[in-house]
Amino acid sequence: MRLTTRSNVLWFALIIGAITTLAIAEIAERPVLTHADRVHRLAEEFACPVCDGQSVAESDVPIARTIRLSIASMVDGGATDDDIRTMLVARFGADIDYTPDGRGWTSLVWVLPVVVASLAVVLVAISVRRWQGKLTYSRKLAKPLILGMVSVLAVLAGLFVAQLSGSRGLGDSLSGEIRSSTRSLLIEAGVSPIGEAISIYTQVLDLQPSNTEALAYRGWAYRRDGNLEAAMADLEAAVQIDPSFPDARVFRASLLLLNDEPARAAEDLVALDALRAPPIIDDLLSATRLRERISSALADEGSLVLALDLLRSGLTAAPRSAGLLAERGWLLVRSGEVDLIDIGVTLLNEAVATDPLNPYALTYRAVVRLVIVGDRAGAESDVLEFESLLFQPTELVALLKSEGLIS
Amino acid sequence: MISARSTALIVGLLAVALFGVLATRDSGPDRISAHLVSQPAPPLAGVSIAGDEWDLDAQRGRWVVVNFFSTTCVPCIVEHKELVAFSEDHPNDVRVVSVAFDDAARSVEEFFRTQGGDWPVLAAKTGHIVVDWGVVAVPESYLVSPSGYVAAKVVGGIERDALEALLTELSGTIRS
Repeated sequence: MRLTTRSNVLWFALIIGAITTLAIAEIAERPVLTHADRVHRLAEEFACPVCDGQSVAESDVPIARTIRLSIASMVDGGATDDDIRTMLVARFGADIDYTPDGRGWTSLVWVLPVVVASLAVVLVAISVRRWQGKLTYSRKLAKPLILGMVSVLAVLAGLFVAQLSGSRGLGDSLSGEIRSSTRSLLIEAGVSPIGEAISIYTQVLDLQPSNTEALAYRGWAYRRDGNLEAAMADLEAAVQIDPSFPDARVFRASLLLLNDEPARAAEDLVALDALRAPPIIDDLLSATRLRERISSALADEGSLVLALDLLRSGLTAAPRSAGLLAERGWLLVRSGEVDLIDIGVTLLNEAVATDPLNPYALTYRAVVRLVIVGDRAGAESDVLEFESLLFQPTELVALLKSEGLIS
Repeated sequence: MISARSTALIVGLLAVALFGVLATRDSGPDRISAHLVSQPAPPLAGVSIAGDEWDLDAQRGRWVVVNFFSTTCVPCIVEHKELVAFSEDHPNDVRVVSVAFDDAARSVEEFFRTQGGDWPVLAAKTGHIVVDWGVVAVPESYLVSPSGYVAAKVVGGIERDALEALLTELSGTIRS
């Protein structure tokens, strides 16, 4: 009997602890959001009035765009989330609100599940005790008082949840997001094989024909799949819809270079430099040497000025980029103009000083030292450094071989 | 002790009550067509495509038809000539004002030049007006009474005869 009592106390403490933790987690102060974050979060919490299953954030129909702008305007004007919710519900009706408030009949949405779940737990507990023989049939449900108290507690808990519901964000729900949003589809596509990813991006575009991210990434998936025509169609559409989406600019530039259109590719990168692209885009450009390859292609077709402009544009954003410094120096030296050669040599020295292990800077300077400056020892020293590198691009090895610097 | 019969009875009563609540609520379409009716008209002011300041509040004392439209919406194009005819029938007692939704001012000007209609048209920065009026899709029209209350809402294309009948009915209601 004593053991049973102790066990009950433990169970009781466990349940109280769990409920307290949930309540604290629910009402704990959340991090401060930027205005843009708030606008997006609020837009996700309202249904597009004319769409089927899409939020205001997801839909591209005019009224959804208008409501988004209206939310942004109110947020900038200092309105609270409740002000915005009240305004939109007053204008478009309660059905627009994905997060029903905790008042009136709507509170049933919150109260009923808690009541039903609580009663279910009690009934299961009673049944288990009956099976264990700890509750005789004469005492079965024999405690209407307990049942009544549980019901009252359940209703109070439901009302508590209902009252808190007004400040519930979508990500805070215990059960998670119930709608399959375009955002989750895009994430799913990002980790899927190419064929499947194309299919998922197409699903997103069926929901939102002008979703720039889906268009850009489907275009990129088409490119990887070898369907260059479809890739270009998607990327052109993506840039047209949102010229400030950096990923679409980079993808299209890459495809344009592949299509022997370096001048148009350069335009995309110059436009990209004017945007506030995320660091991952810079990493992508650096890893693929897209800017350097486009510049080289431009120089090859005689558009040296365009090529230098493109590199200068990149260096404005990243003045210490050894790759860009080396490419610019190399192109200036290749021009054959005496004044430009001097600047080129200086830039190559600067590139090596910035990154002594940059294979392009080392190779270009080695060739220039040998051919232009007549400094074979210096050239061989650079080649020695180059040969110590784990990654030796094949085109650089070919260049050094052609100059007799390596065998 | 609660008997099985009592439990069943309670559950049954709760189900009937829930059904009653849900069944007596307005359906979606009812709510859409009744939205704003009998309420003070939301603010409606701006610069018309002719460059004049226009304010709904300055129209007190006469009926106003507030028409939300777009030049790219087929029902809007169809209803336009009905609206033109209605406007010509009521040169003094009823004002018509159009609010372009998600449209370019230049397209709106061209639309009125080719389709007729000489009433004020607001086309710039109309997003907040659309939200204030809770417009979901065009065409939508509201009949605002001389006292500034929304007397009726018409969802979809407007017809001259129907609008005339509505105006007569509402005028009679207000007079009586």
